[in-house]
Amino acid sequence: MKSVLKSAIFFTLASSALVLSGCASFKAAAPGDPLEPINRGVFSFNNTFDHYLFKPIAKGYDAAVPAPVKTGVSNVFQNASDAQSIVSDALQLKGAKLGDDLGRVMINTTFGLGGLFDLATPMGIERGNEDIGQTLGYWGLGAGPYLMVPFLGPSSARDSVGRYADGKIDPISNVSSVPVRNSLMGARVVDARVGLFPAEALMKQAALDRYTFMRSAYLQRRQSLVLDGKRPKDE
Amino acid sequence: MKFSKWLIALTGFAALAGAAGVHAQTAPDALVKSVSTEVTAVLKADPAILGNQAKLKSLIETKLLPNFSFSRMTQLAMGRNWAKASPEQQTALTKEFQTLLVRTYSGALANFRNNTIDFRPLRMQPADTDVIVKTVVNQANGQGIPIDYSMEKGADGTWKAYDIVVAGVSLVTNYREEFNTVIRDQGVDALVKQLQAKNK
Repeated sequence: MKSVLKSAIFFTLASSALVLSGCASFKAAAPGDPLEPINRGVFSFNNTFDHYLFKPIAKGYDAAVPAPVKTGVSNVFQNASDAQSIVSDALQLKGAKLGDDLGRVMINTTFGLGGLFDLATPMGIERGNEDIGQTLGYWGLGAGPYLMVPFLGPSSARDSVGRYADGKIDPISNVSSVPVRNSLMGARVVDARVGLFPAEALMKQAALDRYTFMRSAYLQRRQSLVLDGKRPKDE
Repeated sequence: MKFSKWLIALTGFAALAGAAGVHAQTAPDALVKSVSTEVTAVLKADPAILGNQAKLKSLIETKLLPNFSFSRMTQLAMGRNWAKASPEQQTALTKEFQTLLVRTYSGALANFRNNTIDFRPLRMQPADTDVIVKTVVNQANGQGIPIDYSMEKGADGTWKAYDIVVAGVSLVTNYREEFNTVIRDQGVDALVKQLQAKNK
């Protein structure tokens, strides 16, 4: 029964991504990154954009806003992301994670005042931390070519499809008032950028070539998320 | 307040002194636990150490370095390119890679100060000489970062780490791709030079 469901869901999801995996037959410079020359161009564009506009805004926000407010803001966006995760938990038939994420969203949205306070974490309810890209991976779809997306950063063919689908079920992009929605989406981007400060500092110290470093870290991290932290040889 | 700080410091240093002698035959999971506990205790007791390069370096050199196999790490990061390097290049690579890792690690330590670490039970047979010790660093935001240490048992019976996997990202794999790119495009000497320049 489970396997029938598995294949049914897989075919539905995979058909949407087939077009993209067709691109994999380029002459490969590095395995998994056939588009490296283009990606490097986008990477350099993103860095310039980040350096002159994005990072200064995030730094200003980080310096000007008191810590409890920043935590509240992060919590609201995390709550929205937990709500998104519910869909992917269900699509992967992961009952325990589904229960956790449902519980988290219900508790944090009601008692946590719309997600401003994260009460579920101290209660020991862990994040499912799933998304559609991971769901596609779970049902057997490979990452496909690595992609450096303008403004957004590292991704893969699979994860770009995932991100698009996640956008459709994102509570924040479905807010009906356009000014409120745009402000929220802008704030979310800034909040995410602030969250990258420690990783950025580490990468600056550790990497010989930041492009290669980021690609390897991204692909390994996503693979690990698809496998829920297990390694292939653990099985 | 002052007294409790002293108490923590004393406990930390007692642990340091006690642990120094017993490492030789310690099980790998116990080793990771004692070293992590010692280092976090020192950082808690004396947060100023993070701003003091000399003290930080000595902490890392006495507590951490002896428990890592940098030659194995370098070989793994080099992969099939290791055989292409001359003995001199191999020595230089190992030395520079060690320096780079120590510096990166010192920078990362600052993020660990206020976090607690969970140690996962190790499933291991007595004859095993290669194991993965799993830990989770708990952050304030509820997201735990899994950190796994790949460890091997040397001929003298001591366990040493040869890879660290943070949130699924293996240090060795990451550097293997970087090293490979540099060597593919510019050769082994260029890699040595780039590491030296980075460490200056």
